[in-house]
Amino acid sequence: MIDLIDVSFQYGNGTEALHNVNLRVNQGEFAFVVGSSGAGKSSLLKLLLRETVATSGQVIVNGFNLNKLKNRQIPKFRRSLGVVFQDFRLIPDMTVYENVAFAMRVTDQSNKAIRQNVPEVLEMMNLASKAKQHPYELSGGEQQRVSLARALINHPPLIIADEPTGNIDPEFSYEIVEMLEQINKQAGTTILMVTHEHEMVKFFGGRTINIEEGRVVFDDYIIGGSNESE
Amino acid sequence: MRASSMRYLMGNGFRNLWHNRLMTIASVGTLVACLLIVGVAVLFSLNVDNMVRYVGEQNELVVFMNVGTSDEQLAQMESQLNRLDGLGEITYVSSDEAIDQIVDQYLDGDAGLLEGMDDNFMPASFRCQIVNPESAADLVSQIEGFDNVDNVQAPTEITDTLVQLRHMINIFGGAIIIALVIVSLVIITNTIRASVFTRRREINIMKYVGATNTFIRIPFVVEGIVLGLLSAGIAFLMVWGGYNVFLDLIRAESTSLMASVINQVMPFSELAAPVLGCFLISGITVGCIGSVFSMRGYLKV
Repeated sequence: MIDLIDVSFQYGNGTEALHNVNLRVNQGEFAFVVGSSGAGKSSLLKLLLRETVATSGQVIVNGFNLNKLKNRQIPKFRRSLGVVFQDFRLIPDMTVYENVAFAMRVTDQSNKAIRQNVPEVLEMMNLASKAKQHPYELSGGEQQRVSLARALINHPPLIIADEPTGNIDPEFSYEIVEMLEQINKQAGTTILMVTHEHEMVKFFGGRTINIEEGRVVFDDYIIGGSNESE
Repeated sequence: MRASSMRYLMGNGFRNLWHNRLMTIASVGTLVACLLIVGVAVLFSLNVDNMVRYVGEQNELVVFMNVGTSDEQLAQMESQLNRLDGLGEITYVSSDEAIDQIVDQYLDGDAGLLEGMDDNFMPASFRCQIVNPESAADLVSQIEGFDNVDNVQAPTEITDTLVQLRHMINIFGGAIIIALVIVSLVIITNTIRASVFTRRREINIMKYVGATNTFIRIPFVVEGIVLGLLSAGIAFLMVWGGYNVFLDLIRAESTSLMASVINQVMPFSELAAPVLGCFLISGITVGCIGSVFSMRGYLKV
């Protein structure tokens, strides 16, 4: 699913963001990626989304060898994953329905498929009643659910979530992670969630990958259940 | 690509134009101005072309043969002329016919004045029409090299002037058109860049959900083409109206001396197709290229 072998990444100015990273996330896993800011989390995401290419080592995602991927194959690769961002990235002048449908529209899918899939996913995300509203009429948590619905619409085997709770009030944050867990359990979708909220990771538990100074310093399962108020 | 996707993307192109309508109006206005100048240049050069052709048709070479050239040699000369490229109709004027013409034109038909003169005192000649006035000088020197030719007369001065005028118009017109094409490209690129900028969020999302570059580009290419077509249409109508007003003006002013020249000015109906074609092609090309330029940089991610 995700396979990084001896991956190093340097920015153009010589700053090394990742150093000999080895990482494997299997199909159906749910993994948190934590680390302080500047530790290399964003660089890791950029590599996984094929925004940049590793300086050395191999990055394989969903069977695509991203080092060797040609530019015109990038769209095909990106269709095999769903991405959720901290800032939602919804289109303000489109309704909830249109925002979700947009991901199908621009990947050349039929009107029929759009009419069928969009209500389904909205229902799943408890957004059916909000379909005709615009993003600015929704709370942060609801907006992030719309963006999650958009990531799910093409049934990707992998979802990459970049600080999905970063802009959301704490009480709704947990709801988002619960939804991700639900998707992981029900559909077997692999989920990689980047976050800096250690409290939340402790609460949910599970595989946790800690990156500091460009290296993986911790990669193991932690037991959840700590109380949110702790 | 599905038809429904194509419709969606084209719809987006039109939506962009409406969304940025002030920019749309400004760029259509500028493009119309550019096309008008191009149109005037094209109309001018087509008309000069037409006049050059007209003068060319009036143009003939007269090849005077040596006095005493035998019929056989004359026949040979005629076939030589027939083989030359660039000559139209060739008329043989025999020595007797030439004398008859002089009697008719200058002696009021009184042949008596010529009594006692040699029957052959006028040379036989060939009147040859010139198809392409630019080649007149060449033809003259070629024919002068033939046997039994006394001299060749051709009124090449007017033709030369017109041909030079046409060359100058083509060079200046070409330079103006290139400059205007660059101006139009800048304008269109700017307008589309503005709408690319307002749509950068959508473009970014499209990249992440795996839309192909073609998909991302189409709305903006549609936008560019529509800008080009709209400007071409408006400019065409304005040139049409303007040209007819101009024709009416010079007809009203015309003296009898100018009449024959003015009759050579082409009616708009003959010019409509080339002008419209030129406008549409340049509008669409500039629109396409402009939109591709303005997308550079936004397709990476």
